[in-house]
Amino acid sequence: MEFFKKTLDPVIALIAIAVLDVFLFMVVGAWTVGGGETMMTGLIAKGILGHGIERLPFWRLVYVPSFLYWKIYISLGMFTGALIGAILSKEFYIRYPRRVSEWAMITVGGLLMGVGIRLSFVCNVSTFFGLTPEMNLGGYLAVSGILAGAWFGSMIYKKVLGI
Amino acid sequence: MSVVGQCIASFIFGTVAGLLVQRSRFCNTAALRDAILFKTYRNTKALLVAMMILSVGFTVFISVGQGHPMRFDVGLNTFAGLFLFGIGMVLAGACTVSTWVKTGEGNIGALWALLFTFVGMFLFSLVWSADYWPPPPASMTGHPDLASLQLGFANAATLQKTFGIPAAVFGLMQAGVLFAIYRAIVRKERRATQPAKVEAAPALAPLAKPAE
Repeated sequence: MEFFKKTLDPVIALIAIAVLDVFLFMVVGAWTVGGGETMMTGLIAKGILGHGIERLPFWRLVYVPSFLYWKIYISLGMFTGALIGAILSKEFYIRYPRRVSEWAMITVGGLLMGVGIRLSFVCNVSTFFGLTPEMNLGGYLAVSGILAGAWFGSMIYKKVLGI
Repeated sequence: MSVVGQCIASFIFGTVAGLLVQRSRFCNTAALRDAILFKTYRNTKALLVAMMILSVGFTVFISVGQGHPMRFDVGLNTFAGLFLFGIGMVLAGACTVSTWVKTGEGNIGALWALLFTFVGMFLFSLVWSADYWPPPPASMTGHPDLASLQLGFANAATLQKTFGIPAAVFGLMQAGVLFAIYRAIVRKERRATQPAKVEAAPALAPLAKPAE
C-alpha cells in the first residue's frame, strides 16, 4: 500500500488529526497526553507501593489511580498506531542512543517533562491541540512558557552538540 | 457517554493519531526546535494548520454550548511548568506524543524518556504532597488568587459571556492570527530559497582553493 511506502505530508496528517480532535472534543475532551501519563504513573506507583501510596495526598486529592480514565487510552492508542505503522512500513527496529551524553540529555529531559507537566497541569499536546484553540488563558501562558523553554533548551542543545 | 465508551473512543483516536504521526514523522518538539535552531519549518507549518482548524472547530461548538472544554485554574505555574517542559523536550529530542510514537517504532531512547517522565511526575507528586501547590482541582475557584499565584479561568466561553459576541468570532480572529504567522513563514522560506541559488556559486569558490 502506498500509504506505508512514502512519508506522509505532515500538513495532511495534522489536518486529519485536527478533524478527529474536534470529534473527540465533542465526545469527551480535546487531545491530551500528560493527564493519562500521570494516571499511569499513579497506577505503577500503586503497583509497587500498594496502599502506601495513599499516604501521599497527591494521589488522593489530584489523581486517584484508576484504569477507567480515558486519557490513558489515548497514549496506549498512539503507541499501538505507531507500532502498526512502523511494522507495516518495515520501519520497526530496535534502536538506541550510542553516546553517554545522549542518554544523559534524555534522562534530564524526561525528568523535566514530567515535573513540568505536573507543575502546570498541562502538556504540550493539551497546549497546542486543546487549551489554545479553546482560547483558554492557560493556553497563552503555556505557549509562552514552552517557546521560552524550547529556546533555552535549544541553546543548551547547541552547547552540548557544539553546533 | 459511558466511561468505557470514553476509553474506547480515546483508544481509537490515539491509534489513528499515532499512525498518522508515525507515517508523517510529525514532531511537536521539532516544530519548535527546528524553527529556533535550524530555521526549517516543515513541522511548524503543520502545527499551525492544525491549530487554525481547531480554533474554528472548537469555538463553533463552544458558541452553542457543546463540547468538553478543559476547565481548571491557570497561573504562574502554567508558564513555569511549560518552560521546564520546553527545555526537557528539546534535551530529550521528543515530546509527549513522539515518546509514545518513537517507542512504538522500537526507539529505546524514547522509552527511556517516557520512563523518566513518569519518574519526574512521581517526584513532583512527592513535592506536591508537602506544599499542596498548585491548588488541586477541588479547591479551584475560577477567580484570580494572587496569594497562590493563580489567575483563574477564562476561555472562549467566558469571552462569549463577557462580550455577548459568539465564541466563534473570537475563534476566527485567532485562526486569522495563526494564518498570518503561517503566511509569514511561507514568505520567509521563499526568500530564503531564492537568494541561496544566486549565492551558491560564489560561496563554493573559496572552498575550491587549496588549503594553505
